[in-house]
Amino acid sequence: MIYDRPRFAPGGDRIIEFELGDEMSFELNFLVHTLARRIRESRVKGVIELIPEMASIQVSYDPDLISYRDLTEELLTLRASIGDLSSLELASRIYYVPILYFDPWTRECTEDYRAKLAEKEPDPDLLVRMNGLKDRAHLKQVHSGTEYWVAALGFWPGLCSLMPLDPRCRLTAPKYNPPRTWTPKGTIGLGGALTCIYPDQTPGGYQIFARTPMPIWDRLQRLKAFKSSLALFKAGDRVRFVPVDRAEYDEIAARVDDGSYEHQFADYQKFSIRGYQSWLAEIASPQREAAQ
Amino acid sequence: MIGVVTPGLETSVQDLPGRIGYWEQGFPPSGPMDSWSFRLANLLVGNGPEAAALECQFIGPALRFDAATVIAVTGADMKPKLDGQPIESWTTIPVQAGQVLALGSAAAGARAYIAIAGGIDTPPVLGSRSTFHMAGVGGVEGYALKAGQALPVGRGRAVPRRRVRRDRRPEIVARRDWQIEVVRGPNDDWIDEEGHRRFFASDWKLQAKSNRTGLRLTGPEFTFAPRAYEKRPEHGQHPSNILDHGYPLGAINLAGQTPIILVNDAPSTGGFINPYTVPTATFWKLAQSRPGDIYRFIEIDIEAAQTLRRQLDRLCSLDSLEPI
Repeated sequence: MIYDRPRFAPGGDRIIEFELGDEMSFELNFLVHTLARRIRESRVKGVIELIPEMASIQVSYDPDLISYRDLTEELLTLRASIGDLSSLELASRIYYVPILYFDPWTRECTEDYRAKLAEKEPDPDLLVRMNGLKDRAHLKQVHSGTEYWVAALGFWPGLCSLMPLDPRCRLTAPKYNPPRTWTPKGTIGLGGALTCIYPDQTPGGYQIFARTPMPIWDRLQRLKAFKSSLALFKAGDRVRFVPVDRAEYDEIAARVDDGSYEHQFADYQKFSIRGYQSWLAEIASPQREAAQ
Repeated sequence: MIGVVTPGLETSVQDLPGRIGYWEQGFPPSGPMDSWSFRLANLLVGNGPEAAALECQFIGPALRFDAATVIAVTGADMKPKLDGQPIESWTTIPVQAGQVLALGSAAAGARAYIAIAGGIDTPPVLGSRSTFHMAGVGGVEGYALKAGQALPVGRGRAVPRRRVRRDRRPEIVARRDWQIEVVRGPNDDWIDEEGHRRFFASDWKLQAKSNRTGLRLTGPEFTFAPRAYEKRPEHGQHPSNILDHGYPLGAINLAGQTPIILVNDAPSTGGFINPYTVPTATFWKLAQSRPGDIYRFIEIDIEAAQTLRRQLDRLCSLDSLEPI
């Protein structure tokens, strides 16, 4: 639910946690990003950094410039200035991410885990079984059948949490126990109700079943997309997965290697809650089968 | 230039306040863990307190200077020597071209700082020279120093020889027990009253599996308030699980039953609760403690934490230096 009155809690001498609700929902996350934008635009005195997350915003501040109490008042005023949620609009880009499902690298990684750490059902089979899907082809169709909302970034530079915008394509999965010690760079994972793209070779706990050759993070800033930022996505962007075959995958990977690859995206467009809600209403049935 | 003869253990370039403005993309601020010792080292060599300098952990490096300059070593006692002769820490030290500064292993404390007049002049990445080695960002090509590397140095200015007054230095001695201040929150309401009482009444032992990302603690089990059980499924099953949220620096992050104090290179977000947060002014204690040391936590409020920070900032000024 979205709280009527947001909750504040301190994180030591220079951080406030600003909690707007307690569930994972698109409306709540949209409110988080709208409010984060307002805090930035209004240049609240003393505010240093924001971390917008699923249902909360972490605000760091300089206590020599503003007190904890005054900052909470400023944040409450900004929250109150956001009226009816359905009238909200947010500028959002959409990135097209080439994806090879059931690729050899994630298979090798899972086999390494099963041999060394713990026996488990192969990740794609687990996803098929737990989500009542027919087979792997069905998993690919459902997973790539929706746009995703970049709900938050964090944990690792560039790592993004993606929420499916089409409720008929919502998939869920438990996380690895214990977590993996390594995950191939560019791996696509699914945990809880979120999809993520691993920006680099990192540990991980999501179920893995696909890989993209398209970098989403580059500390050396070689490709055009990284000239102004090491990380590709910003919260509030959208992602559409575009399935490719192995030959296309290798061709893209080669262009990434020689530095000529250009990321495919549509620049900022207005994304509105009202538009989204009316689209949701148009979907005749909330059953996944209806999308096919 | 400064040549790295031996690198020590994870010696890294750090600056203040570190990498600010990219936390929401997953970049932690990094920067020196003991910013008290760090700032005074810079002031001793005529730099601003924020200039890039070296942080040494447990075992220091050996460095060869190719030009005359002044340096200062502060923080943990690593028995610094110049061409084999012991030198004083907390003091401005002139060095000649060709001389070698060598630090040993820490006799007291854990982290020493080496500042050089003009500061270390590696290329800033996203506005900071601080090393975040987990992601290969900043510092020297993204990582800790390696033997054979050359460190560029900025232009320094002439400074008189000075030392830090005794009463303006952090008290770094070979000790086993620390009193660590904490502020309750952000998620203290997920712990029950008995859990809070036990947290403040118990000894917490620092594990060896600790680094610039987090300090792991061993102690009694936590018990939880009803809120930790009566929650929506997206928060996760374990009582310490919560919907993903931002992690404050200094947060005592409860992953299952293992508290981890999140420090300079910590993850920016995640799905565990943070019942308490160690304030900025206490970070030097975290930086200078060693595996096996014992923490006792005491509660202070936000205003007290902010006052401590202002007092520390005042100590990190030229007023704390005296001529030799």
